[in-house]
Amino acid sequence: MEEYLNTPIKEIITKFPKVGEILEEYNIGCVPCKVGSCLLKDIMEIHNLPENEERELLRRIAQVIYPGKKIEIPRIERKNRRKAGDLTYSPPMKKLVDEHVLIKKLVAAIPKIIKNLDPESEKGREVIRKSVDFIRFYADKYHHAKEEEILFKYFDENLDILKVIHEDHESARAHVRAILEGLDKKDKGKIAEHLMAYHELLTEHIKKEDEILYPWMDRNLSTAQVGELFSKFNEADGATDKEVIGNCKKFVEELEKKYKIKKEAVK
Amino acid sequence: MMKHGMEGCPGSRMQDFSKKSADAKEETGKRGSQLGQWPIQLHLVSPMAPYYQKSDVLLSADCVAYSVGDFHKDYLKGKSIAIACPKLDEGQDIYVEKIKSLIDDAQINTLTVMTMQVPCCAGLVAVAQKGLQSAKRKIPIKSIVVSLQGDIISEEWVQ
Ligand SMILES: [Fe+2]
Ligand SMILES: [Fe+2]
Repeated sequence: MEEYLNTPIKEIITKFPKVGEILEEYNIGCVPCKVGSCLLKDIMEIHNLPENEERELLRRIAQVIYPGKKIEIPRIERKNRRKAGDLTYSPPMKKLVDEHVLIKKLVAAIPKIIKNLDPESEKGREVIRKSVDFIRFYADKYHHAKEEEILFKYFDENLDILKVIHEDHESARAHVRAILEGLDKKDKGKIAEHLMAYHELLTEHIKKEDEILYPWMDRNLSTAQVGELFSKFNEADGATDKEVIGNCKKFVEELEKKYKIKKEAVK
Repeated sequence: MMKHGMEGCPGSRMQDFSKKSADAKEETGKRGSQLGQWPIQLHLVSPMAPYYQKSDVLLSADCVAYSVGDFHKDYLKGKSIAIACPKLDEGQDIYVEKIKSLIDDAQINTLTVMTMQVPCCAGLVAVAQKGLQSAKRKIPIKSIVVSLQGDIISEEWVQ
């Protein structure tokens, strides 16, 4: 078993597809991951399941790899192991989680925006333009910049988990560029395609950050680093144009009203 | 064996866990102190002292250091400290003012409040929160609660 704990997950899944299915059951989405070079033991570390769940998961994986054999499951010692059900954040991480809420509201409105897409009329173009402005300013400049320029600097940027997150940010930027190109050419199909791709990407991305990345980072940050992050985030916010932030919030509220987005859509 | 007193305040109820320490293995070697300042009592310290400027401060209830075996190594190291007893000390309004001044004037980075699990000890977290509320700056505050036998019961950020 030790051998497989030190094997990249893509290799394991390619050899034993069933392992991917088992991981899915535990909400560990390694199958669709584009990178897949995380070692199995690192995945256990990053996802930090409660101890009994982790042992059960490893036992099932061992059964797939060594069918019929009795395999010793190594005990993985870890401080700050998660207790079932709790997900708490340090104040700077909480700030990022709170910012996700507004982004999730816009993301939730995207299917309705697509349904009513009309790049031929000025009014229709305005909705698209304003959505892109929100994504560029609030989601990217205001929020992603805090992640990339401040938070991620506290970690080794070569870690797989950070590469995945970076890649998501870049893909999001590419979709925004494509939406704008579509808008230029009044290409309804292209706009819809990339709006939908952004919707799907960000839904998964935010879930990944809220449930996996941030809790893992919190477990690895010292108290002093948490304090530093908190003041750097406040500094970054202080340098941001309050009026533009206000407009972003107003725009999302208007969208929610216009398309009657229910509160339950955004948990 | 633990012997429990009959009734009264849980904070001063008698308990005997001497057997636990008698069973422990003999330790060898010496450990240096991690204390980097004097004074330490919250009434006696000045928030203007150099060792508080921009530092990570530990606000510890008096009893904590006697209870936690690795207090110096795991909690005091790298931090400035102030100690107080929320149950017996007088003039706790002054404590609130001092916390406020540590946050605003000494611009401390974080505040970690360590208290015992007895209910009255939570008053020290309340003092810290009041200080934070009255301060202009905002900083993260962490609360660590210690059992009477020195185990960490909880460690969480106060939001
Ligand atoms: Fe992100
Ligand atoms: Fe994010």
